[in-house]
Amino acid sequence: FLEGGTALPRPDQEVLHKPRFLHTTQTQTQTMATPPNSNMSPAEKAKAFDMAQLEMEYRVDLYNAMTASCFAKCMDTRYKEGDLNVGENSCVDRCAAKYWQVTGIVGQMLGGMQQQQQQPR
Amino acid sequence: MDPSQLEGLPEEDKQKMLSMIENMQTKDSLRMYNSLVEKCFKDCVDSFRRKNLDSNEERCVTKCCEKFLKHSARVSVRFAELNAGAEALMQQQQKR
Repeated sequence: FLEGGTALPRPDQEVLHKPRFLHTTQTQTQTMATPPNSNMSPAEKAKAFDMAQLEMEYRVDLYNAMTASCFAKCMDTRYKEGDLNVGENSCVDRCAAKYWQVTGIVGQMLGGMQQQQQQPR
Repeated sequence: MDPSQLEGLPEEDKQKMLSMIENMQTKDSLRMYNSLVEKCFKDCVDSFRRKNLDSNEERCVTKCCEKFLKHSARVSVRFAELNAGAEALMQQQQKR
């Protein structure tokens, strides 16, 4: 994962995702707690590690779910070829983009619901 | 994993983060192994007249694995792009 860079990880590199921010949407930015840093007390730091762990696991789950869903939706299960054809390639690209958008929308809705629940009536 | 994010952390914290990440990678590799086996078995193996896989089934499983791994690699590239895009957007929003 390269921060803001234009280079992409090579396909055969293992991608494990940054433990920092949750999704941004156009209107709402959700961030997890700040990553562990040297200005924190031990208790805060322990909490920050836990949050970092949670966020990493979340990212991994997201990636795995995206992979599984897009495979199910895009791939011909007759497995005639070991390679992806052009149609499958495009399907995967679009599937990933749409999946990401769905994640954003759901995040927004959940955030909105939480806010509603927290507001005193 | 981007090592530059771990800069500025004291050494023991860095080690802790690195070992967390390594753990997660191992766990995820094992999980993927199992799920790939299950998927390819489900898609490729249908008859149980014989104890051994016949050549069609074997070929199917091989292609299934190849395909999944290539698909997985492609998704990871797109995922990285989407992530980088989201990060950039967030940084923009924070600067305002």
